[in-house]
Amino acid sequence: MKRGTRIGVGERRSIVAGIGVVAWVIGLLWIFPVAWTVFTSFKTEQDASAQTLHQGLSFGRYGDVSRSIPGTLSLQAAFTNSLVVVLVSTVIVLLLALPAAYALAIRPVHKWRDVLFFFISTKFLPVVASIFPIYVYAEKWNLIGTRTILVILYVAINLPLAVWMTRSFFMEVPRELIEAAEIDGTSLVNQLRSVILPLAAPGIAATALLCVIFAWNEYFYAIQLNFANASTMPQWVISNVSTRGNFLAKLSAASTIACLPVVLAGWAAQKRMIRGLSMGALK
Amino acid sequence: MTAAAADVALKGRVGDPFSSAWRRRLPLLPALVYMIAITQLPFLVSIYYSFTNLKDKTQSLIPEPTRFIGIDNYKQIFSDPFFRQAVWTSLKMTVLAVLLSLLIGTLFALLLDRKFLGQGLIRTLLITPFLLMPVVAALIWKQQMFSSLFGILDKVLNFLGLNSVAFISSHPLGSIVTVLVWQWTPFMMLIILAGLQSQPGDIIEAANVDGASAVGIFRQLTLPHLRRYLELGALLGSIFIVQAFDAIDVMTGGGPGSTNVPYYVYQESIGGGFRYGSASAYAIVVVIFAIIIATFALRVLSSLFADEERA
Amino acid sequence: MHEGRNASGRRRVRVLAGVLVVMLVAGAWLAATAMGGSASKTISVAIVANGQMQDIASLTPSLFTAKSGIKVKYTILDEGKLREVTTRDVGSGGKSFDAVMIGPYEAPQFGTAGLLKDLTSQAKADKAYNYNDLIPAVRNALSVKGHMFASPFYGESSFLMYRKDILAKAGVTMPLHPTWQQVATIARKINTPSMAGICLRGKPGWGDFGASFTTVLNTFGGTWWSSTASGQPAAAQVDQPAFKTALDFYAKLVQDAGEKDAANSSYNECLTAYQAGKVAMWYDATVAAGFLEASNSPVKGKNGYAFAPVDKTKASGWLWTWALAIPKSSPDPGDAWKYIAWATGPQYLAAAGTRVKGGWAAIPPGTRISTYKIPQYKAAAKAFAGITLAAMKAAPITNPGTTKRPGLPGVQYVGIPQFQDVGNRCTQLFASVLSGSMKDTDALGQCQQIASQAIK
Repeated sequence: MKRGTRIGVGERRSIVAGIGVVAWVIGLLWIFPVAWTVFTSFKTEQDASAQTLHQGLSFGRYGDVSRSIPGTLSLQAAFTNSLVVVLVSTVIVLLLALPAAYALAIRPVHKWRDVLFFFISTKFLPVVASIFPIYVYAEKWNLIGTRTILVILYVAINLPLAVWMTRSFFMEVPRELIEAAEIDGTSLVNQLRSVILPLAAPGIAATALLCVIFAWNEYFYAIQLNFANASTMPQWVISNVSTRGNFLAKLSAASTIACLPVVLAGWAAQKRMIRGLSMGALK
Repeated sequence: MTAAAADVALKGRVGDPFSSAWRRRLPLLPALVYMIAITQLPFLVSIYYSFTNLKDKTQSLIPEPTRFIGIDNYKQIFSDPFFRQAVWTSLKMTVLAVLLSLLIGTLFALLLDRKFLGQGLIRTLLITPFLLMPVVAALIWKQQMFSSLFGILDKVLNFLGLNSVAFISSHPLGSIVTVLVWQWTPFMMLIILAGLQSQPGDIIEAANVDGASAVGIFRQLTLPHLRRYLELGALLGSIFIVQAFDAIDVMTGGGPGSTNVPYYVYQESIGGGFRYGSASAYAIVVVIFAIIIATFALRVLSSLFADEERA
Repeated sequence: MHEGRNASGRRRVRVLAGVLVVMLVAGAWLAATAMGGSASKTISVAIVANGQMQDIASLTPSLFTAKSGIKVKYTILDEGKLREVTTRDVGSGGKSFDAVMIGPYEAPQFGTAGLLKDLTSQAKADKAYNYNDLIPAVRNALSVKGHMFASPFYGESSFLMYRKDILAKAGVTMPLHPTWQQVATIARKINTPSMAGICLRGKPGWGDFGASFTTVLNTFGGTWWSSTASGQPAAAQVDQPAFKTALDFYAKLVQDAGEKDAANSSYNECLTAYQAGKVAMWYDATVAAGFLEASNSPVKGKNGYAFAPVDKTKASGWLWTWALAIPKSSPDPGDAWKYIAWATGPQYLAAAGTRVKGGWAAIPPGTRISTYKIPQYKAAAKAFAGITLAAMKAAPITNPGTTKRPGLPGVQYVGIPQFQDVGNRCTQLFASVLSGSMKDTDALGQCQQIASQAIK
């Protein structure tokens, strides 16, 4: 019996119903800021700043933010930059993490604990600490304001977590299947393809989703290095904070647009994320 | 399958070529080399800068040549009261945010662990804050919720006849922690949910049949099982929350009570101080502290791995 | 066997899907990079996110690119981020921008340090640009020993704006040259729960709260640092009685009669509050008047204007200009100058009047004498043009206070590199005093430490 799908023995219907109500209330309260922001995005600026609703709802603000002053960062440019950077960096992360996980789980190197610790320890370095050396060398190599520099940095940001998570998913693969493949003499690549990946697929999907989330939402490197060129979505959202008059409705529309792709992806994949995490993130 | 078993299994194989150790290392090398190159090299350069008086050229009217000044930068750190303040703020911010989000996340996970009408929808709604851009989350709370000019909370307070509260100005740390908890609770919830759903259902059934109370089941069976998941959540959450930057930049711009260590280093460096040499020294000190704390965290990790080997 | 075939079939599909995705992404990247490398001339300009700047960005394609063939790529950032990014870029020899927007705080410093191109000879040679038309005070603020390092796009001073009708109803008149005590008394008198007496900046930042407060500090006889004989900073003066008096005065006025959540309010918030009828008076930049008297402003025609309030000095209004400069490391200085000459020249001002949303009252003010002779501008800006020009001329940039100080010329800032960081960090502390969460003596003590440390 799958947990969470049936009322178990001893649980009274009324308690379960009561829990349901509590969960609904909490869920709605928790989502309120987001829901209110989406609601505001359909208002006029005057209504938005006064928190009233005298002038009706429309898609007007979405139109406003999609059109940009020529020569300034447009939604289309920022979206393309973000999309390319996120997809390319995630693909590279997976290409690097899968073999690394193999070398830490299936046929582990002797010092696998130290290696794992090293990967995680790189996340203890504050990004702000290394920004100036990175800026100096990126400037030297003409990488400031390019998609390349962001791809490089985002891979470094996501790789540790990807290695760690993928390793635990690989640990879930039954030993017998791997030994069978080894006895057959299949190469590493074929082992991965035919045995390991199909079984670890939900976990790898969860890992990829986390990489996409973190890369899409990344702000610091994006604005410190790509302020002038190859700017990404977070910078585009901020650019809607205007000093000319009220901007709350436009900002709400911009925020909704910017967050929508990752939110939809997360919603679609949430069951897979939970299954992936319960499968092996911990074992 | 455990790592120890794997070791044993592979040692016993016949016909391993003499370079088997290197063949094992090979798949690991691309990722390892990449991380070393991208993270350690800037770190080394930072070490070099930290022994100099490197500043942005705009900071001196007469060009000041960059020269080696030994450990002067480091000496200054330990007499800097504002750095101590930042460390204390970092500690408060991280502990509060991690503990609160873990607590609330566990409560949510327990709620969602039962079937009720709309369970999937509620879970979807609860996950959403984690998926938002941190800058968007901070802007939503700053402009829509906390703002005294436009914010909805202000209107609600006034409607109830209460005085306005300048949330961000009067409670900067609380405002930042609120946003952090709001965003990271779903992450904790997912981890704990995974833990709850990996609990073997038949043991719970048996306990129920035996007449154990819900609270008893939770304490004796569920909580021990969840311990590893709680530790994982705390560890991962701390790693990310201690780096919190976006919310501070957007909501308070630093200031007493909300400047954590990353933000302080940023202010010293490209955020206005432009004292790159000095900022590098701060960064190195932070890294040293982080390694010390990480070694402590390694013990937690080891217990996670130890459990694996026992399993 | 059956399962095996299905498994291999699924595998094949997955492999194909993966290859397809990789090809799509690679193709998109190649296409996008190919598109980016167009051959037409493009210059990159960094500007602040103010209304007049956004206007010129909209008008650039039709008024500049069409005639010169030079495309302009704008990077619009808020003031704080813009400063960080341009300071780092200019100081590190970065090539991200052909022209950057800076103020009279940065221009003399960057110019002296040799990081900006000297514009004087080009400016004087360009007849259409009309070098002598620039308001002298503004031009001098951007120059070092006669060498102009940035060309002014707009200029402002500060003054007091008030609702004539509200004051009249309370039976109060505002003198043309008020003192701060007079203003404080009036503010407290007309302060009601629904409409605050006065809006004063409180948001941390040397250009936000720092600007307003420093003018108050100056006229109360205080200063940030004392000066050596050669004009270098000598000792921090935050612990002096005059500084405490100024801070206490400002904080108390804000707490008694100021806007809600002052510690979060700067120009934008006060503008919104004033137009929404939530505050009755407002001490801030002269450029705000253009918005208050704009055709769509709810308070149009209801406003009076007075000179910046004083205490111990004769004048206290600040002087600020947003100006365009060319970094030495600019990739295309020739085209950058062509752009600057257009953007800050008299022709743009003449053309903008009929084209920008706010009308003639919203064109960039305070840079050229000729602006104040344009008949349509004089008509649209009747209420405030005269006092704006007078305020700019009266701004005491060479002697803002009662004592000698470093970093001159400058009123609302100290023109030394350390002031930016000191100002930002100290105003953070002072904002906490405004919001009541920190004692003034604590804030002053910590600020004195910061200010002393910075000049060591």
